[in-house]
Amino acid sequence: MIPNRKKYLKQQAQNGQKIMGVLPALYPRELLWAFDILPAEIWDPPGDILRANAHLQATICPIVKRGLEFILKESASVNAGYLFPHTCDSLQNLATQVKDLIGTSQPVYTFYNPKAQFNKTTRRYYLDLLQDFQTTLETKFGPLNRAKLMAACELGSKIDIRWLTLQNARRADQLELTNPEYFQLVRAGEYLKPEDYLTLLNQVEVQAGPVHQSNRRLLLSGILPPHEETLSFLDELSVTIVADDLLSGSRRFPITQLDTPVDPFEYLTDRHFLLPPCSTRASNLKERIHHLQKMISESQVHGVLFNIIKFCEPELFDHRFLVKTLKQNRVPLLSLETELLPGISGQDRTRIEAFIEMLDEQVSG
Amino acid sequence: MSLVGKLKYQFMKDIGAPALMSLKDLKQHRKRPVSPAFGPPLKTNKRLKEILSRHYFLARYVPGAKQVAWVTSGAPVELLRAFDFYTIYPENHSALVGAKKQGADYCTIAENDGFSQDLCSYARIDLGHMLSGKTPAGKLPKPDLLFCSNNICQTVLYWYKAIAHELDIPLIHFDVPFVAVEQSEADVRYLAQQLLDMIPILEQFTGKVFDLKQFEIILKRSQESSQTWGKILELMQAKPAPMTIFDAFGHLAPVVSLRGLPVAQDYYDLLLKEVDERVNKGIGAITNERYRLIWDNIAVWYQVRYLATFFAERNMNFVTATYTNAWAETTGYLDIKDPWSSMAKTYGQIILNNNLKHRLGLMRKMIKNFGVDGMVMHSTRSCKPYSVGQFDLRKALSAELKLPAVIIDADIADERVWSQQQIQTRLEAFCETLEDTTLG
Amino acid sequence: MADNCFAGVDVGSLSTDVVIINASGKCLAEVVIATGLNGGETAQKAFDQSLNQAGLAQEQIKAVTATGYGRASVAFATGKTTEISCHGVGAHHLFPNTGTVIDIGGQDSKVIQVDERGRMLDFTMNDKCAAGTGRFLEVMAHRLELGLNELSDPLNIKGETVQISSTCTVFAESEVISLLAKQTPREQIVNGLQRSIVNRIWSMVTSIGIHGEVTLTGGVANNQGLVLVLEEKLGKKLNVPENPQTVGALGAAHIALRGYHK
Ligand SMILES: Nc1ncnc2c1ncn2[C@@H]1O[C@H](COP(=O)(O)OP(=O)(O)OP(=O)(O)O)[C@@H](O)[C@H]1O
Ligand code: SF4
Ligand code: SF4
Ligand SMILES: [Mg+2]
Repeated sequence: MIPNRKKYLKQQAQNGQKIMGVLPALYPRELLWAFDILPAEIWDPPGDILRANAHLQATICPIVKRGLEFILKESASVNAGYLFPHTCDSLQNLATQVKDLIGTSQPVYTFYNPKAQFNKTTRRYYLDLLQDFQTTLETKFGPLNRAKLMAACELGSKIDIRWLTLQNARRADQLELTNPEYFQLVRAGEYLKPEDYLTLLNQVEVQAGPVHQSNRRLLLSGILPPHEETLSFLDELSVTIVADDLLSGSRRFPITQLDTPVDPFEYLTDRHFLLPPCSTRASNLKERIHHLQKMISESQVHGVLFNIIKFCEPELFDHRFLVKTLKQNRVPLLSLETELLPGISGQDRTRIEAFIEMLDEQVSG
Repeated sequence: MSLVGKLKYQFMKDIGAPALMSLKDLKQHRKRPVSPAFGPPLKTNKRLKEILSRHYFLARYVPGAKQVAWVTSGAPVELLRAFDFYTIYPENHSALVGAKKQGADYCTIAENDGFSQDLCSYARIDLGHMLSGKTPAGKLPKPDLLFCSNNICQTVLYWYKAIAHELDIPLIHFDVPFVAVEQSEADVRYLAQQLLDMIPILEQFTGKVFDLKQFEIILKRSQESSQTWGKILELMQAKPAPMTIFDAFGHLAPVVSLRGLPVAQDYYDLLLKEVDERVNKGIGAITNERYRLIWDNIAVWYQVRYLATFFAERNMNFVTATYTNAWAETTGYLDIKDPWSSMAKTYGQIILNNNLKHRLGLMRKMIKNFGVDGMVMHSTRSCKPYSVGQFDLRKALSAELKLPAVIIDADIADERVWSQQQIQTRLEAFCETLEDTTLG
Repeated sequence: MADNCFAGVDVGSLSTDVVIINASGKCLAEVVIATGLNGGETAQKAFDQSLNQAGLAQEQIKAVTATGYGRASVAFATGKTTEISCHGVGAHHLFPNTGTVIDIGGQDSKVIQVDERGRMLDFTMNDKCAAGTGRFLEVMAHRLELGLNELSDPLNIKGETVQISSTCTVFAESEVISLLAKQTPREQIVNGLQRSIVNRIWSMVTSIGIHGEVTLTGGVANNQGLVLVLEEKLGKKLNVPENPQTVGALGAAHIALRGYHK
């Protein structure tokens, strides 16, 4: 059973847990854990967007809008500040807008993610960033306990390993989970304490053989999975999403298993640079397509579903290239555009059904 | 590079281009009538046209003579100059296309190729140019190398990545961390080290050896141009202001795209002299300057003339802008004796890479120093780093300084976004409040 | 009459269309009525009319495929398929060399690539915005106080034009209003509007590509002016069915037939 996000965080806050609201997407979670801070990630909090519209133009992506709407509500479940990792132009500006112009009762932190290709200089800088972030956190939360950091890295590494296992099991269709269930599981990592998350992951049973035996297997790419209703609709059509290339999913887990941590900062740095290629880190297009193709063939999917968030520049730039290349390689694909509204539109139903009709015809030859 | 190519380029540069262009000058078509609300035009305008058309004209003779780099407006181009690249500024070119009201055509080419309509129009126009070869500037040479810095936005990085992939050419990226609070020592070290790392790459690419002495000369020239540009802008504090910010949008081109070359420095010396003279003689850009305004964000390139006339006819002049100031603001950090770290500071702290507290402070200062009565903010669909936060900047400035302000929704270069009716109404309402508050 | 017959029912956003065919694919009835508030009832009504037209009893219809955005509301259907597949199949039956189908309906427009057997290879669909659909033209016709037939007049396309640059219906409408205020002749505005729709459709066409013959379906194919502009852009003739609105229903009927024999 996966605890409800809102209730869980409320409970944790009442227990005196320090909770930091973290906007998308990449940050050294282990460092926060070591300060006994629970990162509660803010991706797409539900509800109407009302107040944020007074601060943001109509052409800003819904993640940024929902993030701001959430912050303006001053939720009691966030008591240790907000963290804005550097992800894109919009979030970059939102961070300073909240901190320097709008203001909140909570402190605002930022963490830069280098956009340069990996090399000695970039690596060195990432180490510096960790060091600087530690110093910043220390001024507020007291000195860092190195042993705790070590333990956090070890715990993180266990989660990563378990995640890798489950991901492989999903690809082999060995998880008895519907599409919504699978992504609830993935997304529970956005708010559960690491030990609770690990327990949850360990509870998931891996079956011996394929459970869906689906001949409609898809890979999902984008920032977030589609809304639950869309995911359920896919189940209704016997479509299983067996692999993902989501920023909120597999793009946040290292491609391969790392060695057990020895030096925490070295470990976190290695981990960061071993993440799969991603638009928000400005990865090379060749690497991105290579990674996607590899996933497509390894997980034997029949097609790719792109879930594109309206106005998301990082994804939209890469999207054109990925679509072009996949089409050349005759990989069937469907792109949905979302403004993160609840439910599923009639248009999207038609798109998805037509896509499946097309897949079936192609599969049946 | 071939010897013939080089000779041909040199000949065109020194003799051919000026000659051909003066011929072209003769057939110049009739000018559109200018509103009497404007003062006498700047004489230097002519020189600007010459420099820019010569630059684009010469571009045809570059292949075979020089290596070509496409560069972003915020990149430390001095390093490329030391290796004698011929540089093209796609942002500049896109603005030119926009000013000719052809933005939508180029955008459509990119959109039909799969680029979303929601992407920055500078990028779409340039990609449209890349995909079709079309340009209003005659012919642009294909790049051998791309040089990009995300100190203006992350968008340029995606845009350049797309070109690099499409044309299969190398991309040099200068990764500039956003200044969320202040530049850290680690940031400066990272930036300086990246610049040093580029040297062997460029040496290998060009087959030339890096010459520090030569580089220092270029850096110094570049700094001088920026400083002179800064002085020119400061002269607009005079009442009446000797030029309008719409003039400055044009005169900005050399400091953006020819920075570090002697031609840019000569040009700004000339412009400074003329502007200075106008101040001394009390010649204003508009005949009856009654209200002074500040402009925020990039120009609306396809409506510069309309906007300039609209305000001039209401005796209002734009005397300062965050945009034009961007190429002068941080040049003070530059120190020839410590080129790498000082470049890190100069290029790392420009307005679009700095937090909004900084921007608020800067605007406050400009409003005060330039005796500003009102503010027009262009919220541009294309540009997130420039536009996200504007609503709250406006709120803060209006509240604190009782400054009348208006925000118009438009775009820098995609004219399809412009809604004449809506904007005209908003601007007229703004002028009414301005006249009210400054009189009362 | 022992013949087995098959029906396709297309409950679109604006029109509900029914086609009945016999086992050899011959068309026996064709009905188009406006979609009412209740899609299910409209479908039944159109179906009854078509049975009447063909002189058939309901038992003679062996399979019914429902399609269109209201496909789920057709109680008497034996199967359902999206209108995207159906327009592909329908266009293929009418023009076997079709490689690209453009369906411009009331609220959606689609571009579909089909292979030599009429199977769908790729497709795209407009976004939420109505620009580039029949609805857009109706709003503008209303604003210009023109009937759909007058708006569709191919003569408008021959003369001068104005630029309607907004890509959004609401803004385009306000552009039209200000053009009218400037006394711009209505023909020129119509010309501009037709061109702006085609530009919208065109980006979808380029994303799918032009493969072999191009067939235009959906109600907007009745708009002759638009057909001309599209042909101009395409540089060749379009296949335009005699009754473009029923192509989806025709495809659905063929899918019903095919399913029955499987
Ligand atoms: N004679 C005509 N001249 C011009 N336009 C016409 C004519 N007849 C129909 N149309 C247009 O066709 C549109 C309806 O097309 P159609 O019946 O294919 O739509 P639909 O299938 O109900 O809609 P959708 O497929 O979007 O759900 C109307 O918007 C109308 O503008
Ligand atoms: S969806 Fe895209 S634009 Fe929006 S916050 Fe995420 S990365 Fe930025
Ligand atoms: S307009 Fe803005 S987003 Fe576009 S290139 Fe310039 S800085 Fe970047
Ligand atoms: Mg239809």
